Amino acid sequence: MTDVDAVVIGAGNGGLTAALGLARAGVQTLLLERHNVPGGCATSFIRGRFEFEVALHQLSGMGTESFPGPLRDMLTRLEIIDRLEFIQMPNLYRLVLPDQLDITLKADRSAAVDSLKARFPAETEAIDRFFDLVYEYCTQWVGVTIFRDPESSPEKYPSFFKYALKPTQTILDDFFKDPLLKATLGIYWSYQGLPPSRLSFGDFAIVLWAYIEFKPFHLKGGSQALSSTLLDAFLQAGGDVRFNCGAREIQVADGQVTGVVTDANDQIATRHVVSNASTLATYVDLIDKAHVPAARLRELGARTVGTSFVNVFLGFDCEPAELEITETTNFVAVTDDLDEVYRKTRALTAPEAMLFTCYDVDDPDFSPPGACQAALVGLAYAEPWLTVPPHDYFDTKYRIAGQMLEVLYRVFPRCRDHIEELEIGTPVTHMRYLGHPGGAAYGFDQYAKDGEYFLDRRSPIKGLFHVGAWAGMGGFQPTLMSGYSTSRAVVRSLQAGKGNG
Amino acid sequence: MKKPDIKTQIDGYADIQRENDILRKYALDRTVEKGAVAAAVNRLHPPGLELRVARIISETASTKTLRLVAADGGPLPPFQAGQYINVFVDIGSVRTSRPYSISSPPNQTAYYDITVRRMPDGFVSVYLLDEVATGQVLTSTAPAGNLYHNPLFHGDDLVFIARGSGVTPFMSMLREVTDRGLDRRIHLVYGSRSEDDIIFAAELRERAAHYDQLKVTMVISEPSSEGRDLTGFITAELLAEQVDDLGRKMFYLCGPEVMYKYVQAELARLDVPGRRIRIEVYGPPADVTAQPGWPDSVRAQDRFTVTLPDGAVFTVAAGEPLMNGLERTGRTLNTCCRSGECSLCRTRLTAGRVFHAPGAKLRKSDAISGYIHPCLAYPISDLELML
Repeated sequence: MTDVDAVVIGAGNGGLTAALGLARAGVQTLLLERHNVPGGCATSFIRGRFEFEVALHQLSGMGTESFPGPLRDMLTRLEIIDRLEFIQMPNLYRLVLPDQLDITLKADRSAAVDSLKARFPAETEAIDRFFDLVYEYCTQWVGVTIFRDPESSPEKYPSFFKYALKPTQTILDDFFKDPLLKATLGIYWSYQGLPPSRLSFGDFAIVLWAYIEFKPFHLKGGSQALSSTLLDAFLQAGGDVRFNCGAREIQVADGQVTGVVTDANDQIATRHVVSNASTLATYVDLIDKAHVPAARLRELGARTVGTSFVNVFLGFDCEPAELEITETTNFVAVTDDLDEVYRKTRALTAPEAMLFTCYDVDDPDFSPPGACQAALVGLAYAEPWLTVPPHDYFDTKYRIAGQMLEVLYRVFPRCRDHIEELEIGTPVTHMRYLGHPGGAAYGFDQYAKDGEYFLDRRSPIKGLFHVGAWAGMGGFQPTLMSGYSTSRAVVRSLQAGKGNG
Repeated sequence: MKKPDIKTQIDGYADIQRENDILRKYALDRTVEKGAVAAAVNRLHPPGLELRVARIISETASTKTLRLVAADGGPLPPFQAGQYINVFVDIGSVRTSRPYSISSPPNQTAYYDITVRRMPDGFVSVYLLDEVATGQVLTSTAPAGNLYHNPLFHGDDLVFIARGSGVTPFMSMLREVTDRGLDRRIHLVYGSRSEDDIIFAAELRERAAHYDQLKVTMVISEPSSEGRDLTGFITAELLAEQVDDLGRKMFYLCGPEVMYKYVQAELARLDVPGRRIRIEVYGPPADVTAQPGWPDSVRAQDRFTVTLPDGAVFTVAAGEPLMNGLERTGRTLNTCCRSGECSLCRTRLTAGRVFHAPGAKLRKSDAISGYIHPCLAYPISDLELML
């Protein structure tokens, strides 16, 4: 039996920043990780001479040194900002619909607006009004939810109160006529997993606004460099980590966490557990049903498990220019009907809109000299993949990835003849490495009904805390920040406990 | 938000709250899904396998095939022809493992065949050939590895270059392609020391005679008499003469380390681009001290001290992988490939220096943070490890 102040289950983004925040506050912390490498999604793997980035496409919330965003602030407070080298991307994205549209939006409001007006001259006035609304909404959102203005009211912040919960699609339809324009503005939905018809305007607007204001970033060494740096800092702060060792059980008595049993059957006494496992795994697999309040189980049962991904990781034996890849972030779609794209995420078929990220465009050192790598990604729910009989799995994987590549070759035909390495990840792959139901890297579907205005993210079990996508929003910035803010809450709880004792 | 009532004033709040009430009333019972994720994943990628030796087939004087079935009688997980399993064995007080390519085709998963050749000074191969009997249960990893046909960029014209027991992954591939009549053409160029050393000789000649899509070229380096096969080594000239339309082929290599160096140089002479050459991993080098970069001051028999966080102290030899040295002290690491690429044995080195043999695929950040792959890391000073 070992006693520690806190156990963190899972070394994903949230688990790592939680663990580091705790260790830095002098909390004796044990970090458990099932896999042999830290990061969860934020990791890499090697094939041939390529180290493939698994998950990071555009890091949000960084901002510049002179205008730092919330993530840069957090990494500065954690004193690891100087150990990482960030690369600012000039563009939001290029969107290509073969034979219909090819537009690149800069990560700059006026430049993006100019590009949109040039391509959609009939709707110039609406484009201006739309960006005005996005900015007005986000400014008001900051006032109400970040600064927590005590005088918040629908009179003082009308856009926030009017638009926060509106479906994004109704706003796009109100403003614009051309479906291509709506698709161009709405394409970031794939970073959130729900199409504009299902995504609240609040969630949509903040992503677009934040990428423009705080700019998209990548970092040298990819997301694995961030995960490894967080882990190094945690160890240097006195933390203890066990790899190849997950948690088997979170022990609870009288509504209070009392310990953790590891995969190696070690029993660790602790009164604070930070779970970076999915909330479903936490309440269903790790905690005895008798200790989970029925209301929490009903809440989990009312939510839907979010999308996973099909990823095709590509290593090319030439530089991006030779493939005519000119931007890091590209979306390639075969339709402007984003609801149709979303419907297909529940079928065993190629995604109809895909993200194609070529890291070497903005960071020529990302791959070995004379080579480059790219990730072709589409959203896909796990259910249809789970119906595939094991003996058909590999063929299915190649069939879907092959269809994805055929779409890619319509835009980047030269890619076909330069592939040196190719690896495929399916929803089952993500289930395997993340342990998440549905391989859902963004957690539950991010409906407004399950958002911060409706759900209490605190656990009904004393001493239990949640970090990561399943307990908040998905993506790098939200999960990294959820861990750090949770470490503050655990420290407060520990201090309160001492006071009472 | 500070005031709990403020959010309720957002347009549409009450409607959504009502929806939530209804959804929770009719909520799914998630507790029935306990263990479901692991069960779904394990159909394809179980954490390990219990395998019973069902048959032992003698192939050559030095080679046997072990036919392995699931100890519980069920089907084995699917694999891609060319993949291997890492077989764990307990020999004396040492628990160790070796990866073996599956030589049977993936068209059926009632059994996996592994084909084992006696290695000079072998440890595990000797045990598997001399000690293991039918009925015995072995444990292994699930199939893994990256030498397999990828239809998305390999094309349908394949040249397999093998030497010795390196033919085993290609047996799986060519058996699958011919059994299933897949639209692929295979040319196996197979080097052996003598006619007697050719594994699967009769089956290969028979399949080549029967199937137009399969061509087999045997190359004997030390022929005993005038035979039907080519003699010598697998040179650029031999390949240029035997393999037509070189520019359209995808080359797969599997064999001992010396063969890779030799054949890769020969393929370079033929201007075959790197992307058209797939190479199977091959484990630790025969003599690590002969590798470029090995420090002159360290000899293979030198011993260095390893200190663990629990205070344990022991010595290991410089000339063998740290993983093997640890196994000799009863410490078995998680591993699959034992060739530097799967990263399962990834371990933090907190003090000291190791030499990584070629093929150790370390992540950039791992090299910076001091992580090593003990399966291909050799101690060249006293070490402190975080196990």
